[in-house]
Amino acid sequence: MMSVKNLFAGVAFAALAGTAALAQDGPIRIGVVTPISGTYAGIGQQVSWGLDMAAEEINTAGGINGREIELIYEDSEANPAVAVQKAEKLMTASDVDFLTGTVNSGATLAVGQVAERAGKLIATTVSFSDAITGSGCSPNVFRVNARAGQQSAALAVWLKRERPGAKVFYLGPDYEMGRSTVAAFRKNAEEVGAESTDEVFAPLDAKDYSQYFGGIRAARPDVLYTSVAGNDTVRLFTQLKDFGLLDGLTVLGASGTVTSQNIGAIGDAAEGFITGVGYSTQIDTSENKAFVEAFNARNGADPDLYGADSYGLLFAYKKAVEAAGSTDTDAVRTALEGLSWETPQGVKTIRAGDHQAMQPVYVVEVKDGAFTIADRIAGEDAIGEDVCDRF
Amino acid sequence: MIEFIQFVLAPQMLNGLALGISVILVALGLTIIFGLLDVINMSHGEFYAVGAFGALALSALGLNYWVLVALVPVLMIPLGVVTERYLVRRVYDGADRHVSTLLLTYGLALILEDVLKIIFGPNTHRPENPLPGATEFLGVFIPTYRLFLIAIGIAVILVVAFVVYRTRLGAMVRAASFDRDMAASLGVRVSWVYSGAFAFGIALAGLAGVLLAPVYSVFPTMGRDFILIAFTVVIVGGMGSIWGAVIAGIVLTQVQAISSLIVSPVWSEPIVFGVMVAVLMLRPQGLFGRIGHA
Repeated sequence: MMSVKNLFAGVAFAALAGTAALAQDGPIRIGVVTPISGTYAGIGQQVSWGLDMAAEEINTAGGINGREIELIYEDSEANPAVAVQKAEKLMTASDVDFLTGTVNSGATLAVGQVAERAGKLIATTVSFSDAITGSGCSPNVFRVNARAGQQSAALAVWLKRERPGAKVFYLGPDYEMGRSTVAAFRKNAEEVGAESTDEVFAPLDAKDYSQYFGGIRAARPDVLYTSVAGNDTVRLFTQLKDFGLLDGLTVLGASGTVTSQNIGAIGDAAEGFITGVGYSTQIDTSENKAFVEAFNARNGADPDLYGADSYGLLFAYKKAVEAAGSTDTDAVRTALEGLSWETPQGVKTIRAGDHQAMQPVYVVEVKDGAFTIADRIAGEDAIGEDVCDRF
Repeated sequence: MIEFIQFVLAPQMLNGLALGISVILVALGLTIIFGLLDVINMSHGEFYAVGAFGALALSALGLNYWVLVALVPVLMIPLGVVTERYLVRRVYDGADRHVSTLLLTYGLALILEDVLKIIFGPNTHRPENPLPGATEFLGVFIPTYRLFLIAIGIAVILVVAFVVYRTRLGAMVRAASFDRDMAASLGVRVSWVYSGAFAFGIALAGLAGVLLAPVYSVFPTMGRDFILIAFTVVIVGGMGSIWGAVIAGIVLTQVQAISSLIVSPVWSEPIVFGVMVAVLMLRPQGLFGRIGHA
């Protein structure tokens, strides 16, 4: 009996010793809190495809300073409260070095606060809200994707170039995101000389937009800006078309307005729709073509902006850890500030003042039912001012 | 002033009428099921969604849209009969019929919605508009399909009213609703009348689903879209009254359409529900009485 007990003790000791050794020079652990179930599961899927692919490539090439990357996933259920809980679990139980994956802006802001208290770094690759690297910025939070303000600034640059002095009508969904996107684009558009006619806000999940069409007809706009999303876009666009309002009207919108999820249902009413995004599979560089091909071969689907931005993040982290020589929070933060690195969408640079990645923004247009690149706005023209005052 | 009427007010009222007809199409089945079976069918919206998805699936098989308008309601009838016989009837004679049927149909609604999500996925679909383009009507520009919707909606309302109020079948239904035991003793097969009336209500929901799909698109949670306003119409019109539902449907959607010209459109729903509260306070039985209780 004694010998059996000793054997168990020996095994247990060996296992413990193993973990201790792993923590020092074992894999670098990255916690991914992303929606695996729920409304945003489709976005979470792209995030995990992008991260897994980048981790495989980095590990095959020898890891970061000889250490492999290990991704540990937790389901945020697209719920900020759950995301915080899972992030805390990852930081305490799994002792991760870095966090990413949060999708909705509320979750990113909430997890950012928790990470700051725990002395860990987090980067979002998805969230759009300007607050994350603006009024709600944190020294421990980074963003490597284009925020709402960059998309809207890029659209305004396009507007000035292609439709100078246009009369613009604004239609947004009546909640925080709708009002803030319309306010942001209105400001950008007026700065480049556009004339604002009127703005209306329709309730979320509105059945019928025809009640606003009288106002649109009366205003005779050249351009309609909208930030409705999902099914609301399907109804708005098809009803605009049914009522003959799309003739001679240019429709601009937020990047979430027309997506691969609803473009099929919108059909030819989506033709000519223009938006600004940080990534498109159409980007005509050899790096991007190789990326799209490899992504498609590995995952059986094309990358979207979430997949591409998530893929790019791990290369920024790798470069920063190599420069810092360790995964220590302060050293990595210093290395990330001002860092420039290569991604499928071109060189990105993290602005030190607010931890927002500067990157070119693409103006894309729907042609024959697919997005094509209409213009490329340089990162410096789209980034906007640094309003973060915490660091 | 003339310009305001021609370009703003008249189109708004005509759009309101098209919306009103859509709401009435959904509310008709609801009010029949309530008036006759005394069941508040919380899954009515999901049957409306099933009709729309049924049309979508069948049109993928190559069936013509106009065939589907006739076929889908017929296919909904067995679904309605099965639901009434094997689900609603089981709890119908319990102590607290309103609560148990309400919970049952609400649960059914959640299940149907998820089943649609599993089969068709969460994304939005839209059948091709069978009547594209717009028509000028008295100087007002309106999509042709909405004109068609108004016309066919009026026809459906007239047929339903005729069946309920002017045929022998309708008389049996009204008798069973007024006094179940007396109707049974006079030879009316009450059990079949109940199944038939429930199935008829479900078929109307399915018809509404097919007819509205090209305008409002098709997605798993679409059942929630019309259900609140349809319930409001049924309550204001008088639970179980067909003419009540028609008048309430038209008045409420016109209130919505015209008020949104004056106040922010976000307020049009509170105004509509305010009308409902006012009606409930002044005339709790609604504008008209129940079927068979006139």
